[in-house]
Amino acid sequence: MSSEDSVLIVGGGPAGLRAAVDLAEMGFNVVLVERRAELGGAPIRWKYHTLAPDMRPTEEVMSPLIDACKSNQRIKVYTSSVASSFSGSPGEFSVEVKGADGSSSTHRVGAIIVATGFEHFDARVDPRYAYGRAPDVIGINELEGMLRSGKIVRHDGSTPRRIGFVFCVGSRDRSTNPWCCTVCCGVSIKQAIELRRLLPDSQIYMIYMDIRTWGLWEKLYWDSMEKYGINYIRGRVGEVYYTGEKLLVKGEDTLVRGPIEVLFDMLVLAVGMEPGEGTRQAARVFGLNLNEYGFLKPRQPNIHFDSGVGGVFLAGACVAPMSIEEALEEGSAAAMQAAKVLIRSSKQRVPI
Amino acid sequence: MVDGPETHSAKRDDESKEKGKFIVERDYIEPTRIVEPSSLTAEGVDISGRWGTIVLPRTINEFDTSIYERVKRLPGGSHIANCWQCGNCSAICPVAHEHPEFNPRYLIHIVKMGYTSEIERLKDSVYLCSGCGLCSSVCPRGVDPQHVMIALSLAFHAKGVL
Ligand SMILES: Cc1cc2nc3c(=O)[nH]c(=O)nc-3n(C[C@H](O)[C@H](O)[C@H](O)COP(=O)(O)OP(=O)(O)OC[C@H]3O[C@@H](n4cnc5c(N)ncnc54)[C@H](O)[C@@H]3O)c2cc1C
Ligand code: SF4
Ligand code: SF4
Ligand code: SF4
Repeated sequence: MSSEDSVLIVGGGPAGLRAAVDLAEMGFNVVLVERRAELGGAPIRWKYHTLAPDMRPTEEVMSPLIDACKSNQRIKVYTSSVASSFSGSPGEFSVEVKGADGSSSTHRVGAIIVATGFEHFDARVDPRYAYGRAPDVIGINELEGMLRSGKIVRHDGSTPRRIGFVFCVGSRDRSTNPWCCTVCCGVSIKQAIELRRLLPDSQIYMIYMDIRTWGLWEKLYWDSMEKYGINYIRGRVGEVYYTGEKLLVKGEDTLVRGPIEVLFDMLVLAVGMEPGEGTRQAARVFGLNLNEYGFLKPRQPNIHFDSGVGGVFLAGACVAPMSIEEALEEGSAAAMQAAKVLIRSSKQRVPI
Repeated sequence: MVDGPETHSAKRDDESKEKGKFIVERDYIEPTRIVEPSSLTAEGVDISGRWGTIVLPRTINEFDTSIYERVKRLPGGSHIANCWQCGNCSAICPVAHEHPEFNPRYLIHIVKMGYTSEIERLKDSVYLCSGCGLCSSVCPRGVDPQHVMIALSLAFHAKGVL
């Protein structure tokens, strides 16, 4: 395999997978490096049941990409591996890939795509929600697994009746993360609709500051009220106590300017997205800039793929919080940029 | 001088300042929440007056959905679930601009949330609606607040609130 027809992709989530498949289908070779044991990124790791906005089963979106990466001869997959060192210039990079089992291999590639994604905010960091201390306080990531199993149960096996969603947990807050994760409103509302379908007797209250179901995702918000009777409380939660039986949620309904203290059976936290250690590791290896929040910093904010390091491109939620539809498109966009580098460098060598 | 609402409330305040006088930081508590029973005995002990003083909580601690359920079943209220509290209705309502107690958006919210003490406080205001229908012409979600006001009054009656 010569460097001028190969691309190394770091991260096997939606963005990295899309880039790998596009490049392979264009006739280039791909080395796909994934830190975890399985491909698929967050949707597979957290067992997302369906995807917002259309509630399509996650497999419909992810399986064709994962299967293509596994079966396409042009894509060489290294799972449980990371890129450990890098040298060279665009068109002729040399990258060392190290496996968790101690194995190591060196690859000559023409371009690199970094698509290391995000981690969920750990709600234990903000003690007011009692996450990790009280039972039946879960994250939207954990609820996806429950929805997949079709069993929505409290710690004692009983069915919850009154369920609250708390928005912006670990987001839009100077003491945790000041950015908006952009998808957790839509994802929470999608989950609330799925809960109402599974548990028609449930009462669901969404405790929010602003509803940010941008673009066409707005339909989820409308449907949640018009077809599913989901209730919205504008305000924030101040404290959560476990009474030994239920969760006492203290907060304010800002539309009545008054405190509320209501018992819930289950509380779902819309935990945000933040850059993870995987992104920092890739930044160290490839010499990439991080912005003030720890996301990878593109050379200019409105062109995500341009890392500022020649021949190294960025895609997906390692640059900013985003949806799967956006991460997939960024994967394609980065693949296009990588292809440009490969085509240019091969022309230099073999004049036509 | 006309005996307007201000002089009334001043008088009421004078009387109620006696209630719970002994409470530390008494000024934090609205007089209406302080209850001093005029005659009350517990286990043979007379705890009338200050001994039996209780302070009612100001916190909303239950969502009572019974009125909401009834409103949803009435013809005028069938779209109340769509309301997202934008306030278009109150912004255009000629009555809300004049009368401090009347606010169609707010009435819809307290009914949807089942805030019974607020409903109790504001129940009569529902009759201030002139039926002009301006609100329904601007509501972006097709809630039809004009007819919701009628449904609310019917539901308040049926629940014995009014
Ligand atoms: C609870 C929740 C539900 C969501 N549901 C939806 C939804 O319904 N619809 C929707 O559109 N979006 C949804 N999203 C957003 C969606 O998860 C992201 O848009 C998407 O996962 C981003 O894809 P990605 O490839 O950029 O990153 P990821 O999915 O995070 O994938 C990155 C991959 O890179 C790997 N990696 C990281 N660092 C390294 C490294 N140094 N070396 C090698 N590999 C590395 C990671 O292990 C991971 O596999 C949801 C998000 C949350 C928080
Ligand atoms: S998407 Fe919604 S829940 Fe998430 S941070 Fe933004 S406003 Fe908050
Ligand atoms: S119909 Fe009633 S609530 Fe609506 S604008 Fe007229 S007075 Fe206001
Ligand atoms: S205009 Fe319609 S949606 Fe907006 S607050 Fe009034 S009733 Fe609700």
